[in-house]
Amino acid sequence: MVAHADISDMLGAWALDGCNDTEAAAVQAHLEECADCAAQARRLRSAVGWLGIDQVQPAPAALRQSTLATARARRAPAAWVTLTNAYADQVALLDAALADMSPIDWRRADSRHGDVRGMLGHLAGNDALLAAELGLPAVPMPTTDDGSAMRAAWRTQADAMLAGIAEADPGRPARLAGPGRRPVRTLRDALVQRAFETWTHRDDIGVTRTIPAPEQIHRIVELAVALLPAALRVNDPANADRAWRLVLHGSGGGDWTVPTGAARIEVTIGADAVDFARLAANRRQPRMLAHTVTGEQALAEAILRVATTLGCD
Amino acid sequence: MPEDRADDARLRERLLAGDDDALAEAYDRWSTLIHSLAMRITADHGAAQDVTQDVFVHLWQHPDRYDPHRGALRSWLCLNARSRAIDWLRRRCAQDRHHTAAAAIAPPPAKVDDVIVWYTEAKVIREAVAALPDPQREAVLLAYYQGRTYREVARDLGIPEGTAKSRLRAALSRLAGCLAAEGILER
Repeated sequence: MVAHADISDMLGAWALDGCNDTEAAAVQAHLEECADCAAQARRLRSAVGWLGIDQVQPAPAALRQSTLATARARRAPAAWVTLTNAYADQVALLDAALADMSPIDWRRADSRHGDVRGMLGHLAGNDALLAAELGLPAVPMPTTDDGSAMRAAWRTQADAMLAGIAEADPGRPARLAGPGRRPVRTLRDALVQRAFETWTHRDDIGVTRTIPAPEQIHRIVELAVALLPAALRVNDPANADRAWRLVLHGSGGGDWTVPTGAARIEVTIGADAVDFARLAANRRQPRMLAHTVTGEQALAEAILRVATTLGCD
Repeated sequence: MPEDRADDARLRERLLAGDDDALAEAYDRWSTLIHSLAMRITADHGAAQDVTQDVFVHLWQHPDRYDPHRGALRSWLCLNARSRAIDWLRRRCAQDRHHTAAAAIAPPPAKVDDVIVWYTEAKVIREAVAALPDPQREAVLLAYYQGRTYREVARDLGIPEGTAKSRLRAALSRLAGCLAAEGILER
């Protein structure tokens, strides 16, 4: 049995990993029993946790990718959990924004859906389409024009979806939301689209704009790029089946060639990834998108124009 | 648990579930801190990058080893980074006696930083360390930056072991007081 005073004296050395193993074990054992020393130990340890931070030197940008890649190679991520969490995050953000709304806020005009309540009804309706496809219960939409009732219905629908998809197969076919033709993709893509649309509407009503995690932006862009060839075929057949490249920088950026591996690229478009995601949400017009074009201007314009029609809004 | 600790607990849950966005989030939040710390201890770009990468890969592989009840995740990551950086320093010193200590105890470069993130914290810590009485500062910097045990600190400074222990404790306690007064120290 080591005396309290001896241990107490030792705590500084212990917090700095500066005792021998026997001493460290004696400290640990004492901390289990003595609340005062345990509190003191936590405090000193916290100070050690800050001590070396007396200058700021950010890691080189390239280290992020290599660290995440190494981590994923050591332990495979549960991709589906990542996606359902990303959707849950957007649901929570929108819900928090809605929580602050007054009756007047709910009636604020929305160019696409009349007012905020209408916009939320539209979102809930799109959520319900996917829920129905998965055989999940559809939540009835309120008939009153009370905004908070609409919020409750939307949230119930979203929660039912989150509960229902946890065990679902992400690779199973599912239709995307959108006006007119609704392409059949996978549940994975459909969920990325749900999170995307939820984010877009959050930003429609929010005082400040939010930006999802870089990985989520990357998935949004990836989905948009995957949908573009078919959308071009429908909306601009003359420019379909041509070879182009999209180089997006900033958070969530990347480099996409369509079709994959195409040898002779006809145009390369460069832009910010978050800006491009907003374009794909039809929240930014091509002429308002800061971008660079290398190659055929007309093809670039066609691609950007069609990107606003993907139905992710 | 305080609010930020609840965040840490949630992040841990997500990491345990295999959510790799959570790892990216942790990296974006704390990599500057971890890299700064590793640079400060190793004074070597390659080593600092290796330490930074190892700290986050370790977090991804063993999120269960972090216990939210024992402190902030940031603190846990910093302690982990320090111990990896010290290990590197020891291996390096074993190879090259000349390198001993030179880098680690050197004052931070004059051009401190042009980044806003963590700037306030770094400034508070610089000032808190500078305000320590010389004997305490000497002891704590030896132990912190070079991974010296209290016995080695006593030997290096030619003081009794009991004095080394009490200087380390007094220095940390004083730092904790300064950091708490500035609202930096987590509860």
